[in-house]
Amino acid sequence: MSLLKVQNLVKQFPVHGGVLNRVVKKVNAVNGVSFEIAKGETFGVVGESGCGKSTLGKAVIRLINSTSGSIEYDSKVITNLSHKEMMPYRRRMQIIFQDPYSSLNPRLTINALLKEAIRFHNIIPANQMNDYIQALITKVGLRADSREKFPHEFSGGQRQRIGIARALALKPEFIVADEPVSALDVSIQAQVLNLMMDLREEFGLTILFISHDLKVVQHFCDRIMVMYLGFVVEMLPAEVLHDRASHPYTQALLGANPIDDPDDRHPLTVLQGDVPSPFNLPQGCPFVGRCPIAEDRCKTDRPSLESKGDGHQVACWKVE
Amino acid sequence: MIKKFFKSRGVRKFLRSKMAIASLGVISVYALVALVVFAGAISLDDVTNRVGVERMPGFLQQPSRELRLQAVDLRLKAMESVARRGADSTPEEQRRMLNELSLFERQVPDEMLFDEYSTLVVSARQAYDNTGDAQLEVEDLADELVAISEELHEMKSEGASAEDISALKDEQKQMQVELASIMPELDSLIDIVEAKMLQIQPIPKGMSGTIYKLRLSLGTDAKGASIAMKGLYSVKIAFQIGLIVSLISVFLGSFLGAAAAFYGGWVDNAVMWLVSTLSSIPYLVLMAVLIVAFRGTIFDDAQKPGLALVPVYTAFCLTFWIGTCRVVRGEVMKIKELEYVQAATSIGFGKSYILIKHIIPNTLHIMFINFSLGFIGAIKSEVILSFLGLGVKGQPSWGIMIAHAKDDVSSFFFWEVLTATLFMFGLVLAFNIVSDALQDAFDPKHV
Repeated sequence: MSLLKVQNLVKQFPVHGGVLNRVVKKVNAVNGVSFEIAKGETFGVVGESGCGKSTLGKAVIRLINSTSGSIEYDSKVITNLSHKEMMPYRRRMQIIFQDPYSSLNPRLTINALLKEAIRFHNIIPANQMNDYIQALITKVGLRADSREKFPHEFSGGQRQRIGIARALALKPEFIVADEPVSALDVSIQAQVLNLMMDLREEFGLTILFISHDLKVVQHFCDRIMVMYLGFVVEMLPAEVLHDRASHPYTQALLGANPIDDPDDRHPLTVLQGDVPSPFNLPQGCPFVGRCPIAEDRCKTDRPSLESKGDGHQVACWKVE
Repeated sequence: MIKKFFKSRGVRKFLRSKMAIASLGVISVYALVALVVFAGAISLDDVTNRVGVERMPGFLQQPSRELRLQAVDLRLKAMESVARRGADSTPEEQRRMLNELSLFERQVPDEMLFDEYSTLVVSARQAYDNTGDAQLEVEDLADELVAISEELHEMKSEGASAEDISALKDEQKQMQVELASIMPELDSLIDIVEAKMLQIQPIPKGMSGTIYKLRLSLGTDAKGASIAMKGLYSVKIAFQIGLIVSLISVFLGSFLGAAAAFYGGWVDNAVMWLVSTLSSIPYLVLMAVLIVAFRGTIFDDAQKPGLALVPVYTAFCLTFWIGTCRVVRGEVMKIKELEYVQAATSIGFGKSYILIKHIIPNTLHIMFINFSLGFIGAIKSEVILSFLGLGVKGQPSWGIMIAHAKDDVSSFFFWEVLTATLFMFGLVLAFNIVSDALQDAFDPKHV
């Protein structure tokens, strides 16, 4: 039973210009992405900067409206729900942001920002509010006396814990984690990831985990989706990533990933050229310009996601 | 809430700057003066009444001989007319007339009888007449000295013989000595008259004495009114205009700017059209147009000075909100894309709630800074407008003082210009320092 089902999701950002401020071109951020996330699953999305993974994450919880496609949450299509109709779903889906410095309002104390959200959704009766907040703060590993402090009095890792506490305060079942550790030091990254793993167990969370770090995703997620230029190029279970990844882009990502055992190293392929402009998508495969094994067909026909068995899907003509 | 405010980083940083604290002190002194004037401690009459002869120097300096004689003459004439008119009246009438005789803000003491008063006036008149001969002599000598110096100049240019010139120079020296010997005599005669006048109208003592001295402390203007009082009264006008204009324009500017940035679309287009249209009109022109527009209405009446300020407020508010609007719009555009705003959206808060609770509080520092900048701007512009005769009407202001002092300056009488400019300088400088410190303390870019 899938909790979230996304079908053919497209997001284009119009660019205005000219004297009359008309739409002159469009940025194609997400181009027909489909996937399903089962209840309790952790679903990783990887890809380089600008490949549309954050846009996808925000579109899924309706922080931005998608251009076309459908988002189904708990068997209900939420793509076009109004602000009011969306309200019960807002509580159930939360987001953790990448930048711990801009994700907290500098004028609100920790207590104030948690209370605000909890009270808005009537999560807990007013007389239990204090205990609830206290428990939440301790749960994310912050000191009990941090409640009356302002965000600028915390370090980056502590701020990220506050961001997690804010997301958990509403007792959600689904969380979009938008590169939650990429702005942190490696040692802090491990702490925050471990915290998230513990909380995932405790609250039975379903997580859409966005990252550009293949290692983190592999460690943290059940299934992985690789994105390139707004397209899904490969989708596979995390444990077989190393052995079965077959799309040339995924291969290149794996090769670029530092590994502690030199014998275990993936063959390194250095990609040439740049990502094509998101204004004019290539007619064929989005990866054709940088692909080491591309042939003529790749330039004209766009490959679709083909199942290769055992939950492994690839969009490439050359993969058998 | 207040405790939290004082604990915040910006406030702590602001309080660390000693200059800013000193300037805040200066501003609060000004504000206190404005409040005291507003409470009615200085009325418009205090500002326009004569407190002495025209163009008396300040700091209670002894005025020149001519000014002293002029003052004595003026007051004697007024006193004599009372003595003449009151001679046949009833004692009550006489008392009333004496009470009303308050020339240059000095009073005839209550216990003085009318007869006593009349004799004193007569003896003062005699003493004044005594100075007549000496006065004439001084005048003659002065005239002759002028004539001689002219003659000397002429002889030099014509190339007269050295003996002639030295003879004339000797004569000049002799006359100067003579004049110097008469001067103290005349001075002592004037002292005698002034002593007699003091008997009739003594300098007040205690509190009213201090006020009397304060009135004369910065001299008098071309109409004999107290410059100090005008300067102090203008503090109220400056605060009135500064506060009203900067409050309204900061409120208007932040409201429109925030709405434009947050809602975008046609709201943004409309506000930005207004901004670019209004900012292309210089406020001097706008002011002139408004003056014409308000002509003949109740806002064009010098008898009602409060209402006469409405065109000034209107013109300033219409032009001053633009700066705030632009900055707040930019800041809100930046903030609304920040992740904490997205987090608030993901919680499900409404747009207006997010604007009020999460965005506006983070632009407060801009409003603070713009408030103090607007305050200075309004005061300076008021001075310029009043100087041109477009601004304040029916009451003094620093601009009007400067405008009135135009003729004084050409005759080297600087007290009025200096008073107005120094009063303004102090306030504007203090506000500038405070707004600089505000900028340093609250702008996140200045860490």
